[in-house]
Amino acid sequence: MTTLGWIFMTVSLVMVWGGTFWCFRKVLETPQEEKVPPGFGP
Amino acid sequence: MTQQKEEWGSKLGVILAVAGSAVGLGNFLRFPGQAAANGGGAFLIPYFCALFLLGLPIGWAEWTMGKYGGKKGLHGAPMVMGAIGKGRLARYLGVLGVLIPLGVSTYYVFIETWTFAYFLKYISGGIGIDRTADLVTQTAQSGSFYSMITGVDGDGQLFTGDSKYTVMSWIFVFAVNIYFVFRGLSKGIEKFVSYAMPVMAVCALIVLIRVLTLGTPNPALPDQNVVNGLGYMWNPDFSALGNFKTWLAAAGQIFFSLSVGFGVIINYASYMKAKDDVALSGLTASATNELFEVGFGGMITLTAAFVFLGLSGTAGAVATGSFGLGFNTLPVVFAQMGAFENIIGALWFFMLWLAAITSSLSMYAPSVAHLKEATNWTQGKSTAVIAIIGTIGALLTLWFTKGGAFWATVDFWVGTYLIFLLAMVQIIYFGWVFGIDRGWKELHQGASIQVPTIFKFVMKYVAPAYLIIVFVGFSIQSLGAELRNSWATTGARVGMLTIVAILVYLIVVTYIGEKRLRAAGVDIDDNTPAN
Repeated sequence: MTTLGWIFMTVSLVMVWGGTFWCFRKVLETPQEEKVPPGFGP
Repeated sequence: MTQQKEEWGSKLGVILAVAGSAVGLGNFLRFPGQAAANGGGAFLIPYFCALFLLGLPIGWAEWTMGKYGGKKGLHGAPMVMGAIGKGRLARYLGVLGVLIPLGVSTYYVFIETWTFAYFLKYISGGIGIDRTADLVTQTAQSGSFYSMITGVDGDGQLFTGDSKYTVMSWIFVFAVNIYFVFRGLSKGIEKFVSYAMPVMAVCALIVLIRVLTLGTPNPALPDQNVVNGLGYMWNPDFSALGNFKTWLAAAGQIFFSLSVGFGVIINYASYMKAKDDVALSGLTASATNELFEVGFGGMITLTAAFVFLGLSGTAGAVATGSFGLGFNTLPVVFAQMGAFENIIGALWFFMLWLAAITSSLSMYAPSVAHLKEATNWTQGKSTAVIAIIGTIGALLTLWFTKGGAFWATVDFWVGTYLIFLLAMVQIIYFGWVFGIDRGWKELHQGASIQVPTIFKFVMKYVAPAYLIIVFVGFSIQSLGAELRNSWATTGARVGMLTIVAILVYLIVVTYIGEKRLRAAGVDIDDNTPAN
């Protein structure tokens, strides 16, 4: 594998792994609306 | 509307469902072949350009349109498109958003059946490759099994002899699909993908670790090692970037991989609430797809093939296409793994089956939603009708197997050509008829992230222009030959007639739905904008 091959592979993997990790962290950090059981609430 | 309102159980549920729809066999089999044949690592330059200029913007447009349709109580692609485009033309063009997933499902479930049949064989002792034989003999043995499972040698072959195994497997796979669609969104599809996606990731990780630790299995052939295998996939050839075909291949790969222009995202997003986020959800679903495609598909398939088959063997395997690589060559590669053969083979095909079923589930959902919306039938009744249509389509696929002519024809017209067309229709209606300012506002209603403003320009100008160039290029490259092939054999002719029959059915259902919803006072032409 050439040096450029390593660079392309590493950059691509960092992008997809890092991007996915960032997205899911952000999704999980965002508070989810709680479901109100029937009979409760106004 | 008298029916109980369907909705997603959680925000992660809809993300995983869309990601599951996008992650399919193409991530593991088509992507590495396309990359290796079009500049290796350099392919990733046009690939990521297409992701940011085509895949993500069109995806966001679809999520936004779907959620907007849902606000008005509309869920089928024709009715949602009718609201976005304010009229009948958009509504009937939206029929493509149901034709595509339903048409593709006729053969996709068949291919899904292969993965399941291979998995069953691997867990019950293997597919009959003699590990002690030479590579030529092993390739012939693998080819023989492939032929038996796919019935590629003749029409009706699957209903005779050992090939009945495929039909039995199909019955199971189809029943699983229908069961989860029948259960509905949150209890069926969402529940299934919430288990299937993590399991698929674990399977992929195990196979990846095994492949990356193969080292140099044959000391007599020191060049056939993992690092050189990775180099085969990733070493960049910049001369490929000067070839229009490379850019076309990259755009096509992004396009089909992300499931944009497929009609599924619109339907799935229509069950979200008005204040739900679609910006981050769309990005997360796309990122997940890219992880499976680049992070797993780009690392496993060709590396494993190179280590055992060498440069010429891998190049030959790539030339046979995705199915030749996945179902014919890789079993030969697994046979070189000694005691691990059946474990890795089983994991690989189980992972492919999960990738396939999470996609096929999404193909039935839009047509069930469309029928339910048009007729006000129950989920059960609508699923039963779609199951009957699916069975007829599948029986045709199972019978007309010679040379794969039937499903190759449906795949080209419905699974490729119409996807380009629908995506163009969608992005043009979104940016130019619904209005980019209004669309941008809808995209950010309840959004967890702010999409960079440059994408507003990309969605209105760049994505449609890019798509038109790709569509014209693709038509010039493929249309002539495909027009000839599409009427050349019995299987191909039946495939064309099947497409027409499904189209007629969908137009009739849309007409019925249009009348019913109008009579019920639903604002299907979006005369009063939803908040």
